Amino acid sequence: MDEALQQMLTAARQPNVYARGWKVRSGRKVVGSFPMHFPAEVIHAAGATPVVLQEDDEPITVGHAGMYPFFCGYTRSVVDQAAKGDFDYLDAIMFGDHCVQILSAADVIRHRIPDKHVGFYQLIPSLRDRWSLENSMQALRRLIDGIEETLGVTITEDDLRASIRAFNENRQLIRHLYGLRRTGKLRLRASQMQAIIKSSMVMDKAEHNALLRHITEALGDEAEISGRGLPVYLSGHLCQAAKPAVLDMIESCGTIVVDDDLYHGYRYISMDMEAQGDPVKAIASWYLNRNFAAPCPTRLDPGIDWDGWLLNAVKASGAQGMIVLMAKFCEPHYFYYPRIRKTFERNDVPHLLIETEHEMLGLENIRTKVETFVEVARRRSAPQRSAPHAMA
Amino acid sequence: MNVAVSSQQIKRANRLEATKLNNRMVTDYWEDLFRAKDEGRFVCWYEGVAINPILQAAGVAWCHGEAMSALLAARKEEGPAQQAAEEWGYDRELCSYARTHIGCGVLTQRSTPDTVNDLPKDSEVRKGLASRVPAPDMIISAYPFCSTGQQWDDMLYRQFGKRVPIFNISLPWIWGNKPSAKYMSGPEYREAVAFLVKQLRECIAFIESVTGKAFDHDRLREIMGYIRHAAEIKVEAMRLCKARPSPASFFEWTNSIAPVNFLPGGPEIVNYFEIKKAEIQDRINKGIGSAPTEKYRLFWDGIMNWNKIGWLADKFAGYDACIVAGRYTHMGFWHETEVIDLSDPLDGMAQNYLTCPISISAPQVVEKILEHCEYYELDGLILHGARTCRAFSYPQFLIAEAVGKKLGMPVAMFEGDMVDESFYKDELVNSRVEAMLEAIEARRTRLM
Repeated sequence: MDEALQQMLTAARQPNVYARGWKVRSGRKVVGSFPMHFPAEVIHAAGATPVVLQEDDEPITVGHAGMYPFFCGYTRSVVDQAAKGDFDYLDAIMFGDHCVQILSAADVIRHRIPDKHVGFYQLIPSLRDRWSLENSMQALRRLIDGIEETLGVTITEDDLRASIRAFNENRQLIRHLYGLRRTGKLRLRASQMQAIIKSSMVMDKAEHNALLRHITEALGDEAEISGRGLPVYLSGHLCQAAKPAVLDMIESCGTIVVDDDLYHGYRYISMDMEAQGDPVKAIASWYLNRNFAAPCPTRLDPGIDWDGWLLNAVKASGAQGMIVLMAKFCEPHYFYYPRIRKTFERNDVPHLLIETEHEMLGLENIRTKVETFVEVARRRSAPQRSAPHAMA
Repeated sequence: MNVAVSSQQIKRANRLEATKLNNRMVTDYWEDLFRAKDEGRFVCWYEGVAINPILQAAGVAWCHGEAMSALLAARKEEGPAQQAAEEWGYDRELCSYARTHIGCGVLTQRSTPDTVNDLPKDSEVRKGLASRVPAPDMIISAYPFCSTGQQWDDMLYRQFGKRVPIFNISLPWIWGNKPSAKYMSGPEYREAVAFLVKQLRECIAFIESVTGKAFDHDRLREIMGYIRHAAEIKVEAMRLCKARPSPASFFEWTNSIAPVNFLPGGPEIVNYFEIKKAEIQDRINKGIGSAPTEKYRLFWDGIMNWNKIGWLADKFAGYDACIVAGRYTHMGFWHETEVIDLSDPLDGMAQNYLTCPISISAPQVVEKILEHCEYYELDGLILHGARTCRAFSYPQFLIAEAVGKKLGMPVAMFEGDMVDESFYKDELVNSRVEAMLEAIEARRTRLM
């Protein structure tokens, strides 16, 4: 297990290095995409390796000449990486999102790396209109055409179904780990769980599935792990991975992360696609319905309340409080956060907001807040429930 | 010695007389809206593109969120609404248009007992213009490009307890995947137009379902006839400003957005632009410029800073500079009149929505700005990075690079905002603008 996890940690720590190396090793093409809802299965079905482009840890330098500082850390970082040539290994970039900041970054990147094809196939942000399914399917067909033309390949329905199965297996294996962690049968630090998912976004799916199988087979029937620590739920970060140091700090304050709705977390693996029948319709349906599995504040879905969903998710996980990780300048999160705060206050569920930035945070400053939050949550939740210690 | 600004003095820009008529029309419009509920009319709140002709044809009163926020800022009354939004929990880095308009929503909810607890305690914030906006009977979201716009409407829908019906129009962003994609042409563009027209027809059906009345398509044709005519005169008047000195400035065109953005379509707006055009022609005949002295002709990229229209007009006049054209004013608001077919205006309306300056992506934005800079023979370009409007601000580095490389034009970039004055830093603006004027002088010297 340790060796498999280490491989994932390595890929997660340096995704461009991994993808560049994979391209050399496999001889396959590599196509980048942006968060949050892009169906990478389509790239995979073309015989290429899809990679979700990641925020990196490097300070933004030349990227300042492309984006204002009042854009989120993710978008500033990917523009910076593009300007520095870090994406030179990519054969193309394909995306279909809706967030104004991602679209803006993509337009700047298109200009900065004119030799790469940057294709945009917008998925309708309004999920429940009568035409949402039809329009999503049209966008997907255009995406398939675009990939075929760009990569010089043909994508069959069987190719798509095979890729859907590979991705489904990946999601199911990770969800299995989530289930074990939720029930206290698996010790995984939040930063380790994040690395598993982040590596899934950048690694070859067959390779990642093999590593996941190795991990799950090594687990066996583990008994519930006893120990103390405040079980907490993490929410937010819709595009970028949280800095591992932040996650480790949170757990070093006496908490155990038992569940989350992070993009580099449960949100990414929340739902499978239908592997039978028309694959285009299956992908479109997945896109339109995954909001039921993990609501996204960037989509329009009048019947879904992220705040109410979160409250239920926190209760179901056994967490005794929620920590919200909000990326600075993330407007979808800014819009929704007041509703989340009010809902949690009304229901007397402790929660803490941590605003994060690309530039390193004052970690000790945040630690004080988390420690206070832990004290408050413990007093409110007496008699205290038990949960396992974080993995050392 | 600072050559460009050595003789700078405080000067007042020459205001067009027509602006007074515009201001009266704007005031009349808002007063009419404030009376709408008392007169038994339905009220629609909407953001984004100008769907008001459809609402007007349906006999529905309308409140355009950005227009409301801009009005409050221009009249220095944005404070209570922004304070209400902030107290409700919205971060000040969030779109200030949205914050201000949602703040109006908070202030108009006094009659909903379950949300009263969320209202600010301070009764003073419930007073003033912001609290006079009548609550909506329907919400229509029609935001080009900017996801924040759609989420703003979603938040309003939730703010009103999901009791107000909402209709979402999803406007495709014109990206251009293939080389065949050009401004207003190519398969991708035509598909986007067709999809938008389909949604506009559905939107009309939605309005009918709320009002219970059949939509009057003849009335829409009539309204669009006035709007098309008014917009044609507006564009003709704008192009007259190629003259030296320029008889009108970008700031006066910002004052003229209302008649082609949210005022009712009718003979009044045609009359307004005829008067304005005649005044511009008269100034040309007499050699009168918007700036008392015109040494520099500039372009303004970015949304207007609505708190500071007159103040900025005078500031640039003090630099002997005239901002002749702008992306916000000259590349939107029924700017493509020739595609509006009055026998079936929805297609042409959709095309205008899809070519507004944030519906098109950077390559086309840059191309259009270069055309304007060349046509108006401009010397420099101002980039106003509206801090809370990422949609408008993001391509500005690309614009700066393009005008520098292709036209040799210096630029000045500074941050501000559309309706949150706190982001504007005057001394920083002074130093950036003065540096640009110096660069223009240096370039002129080199070219002599």
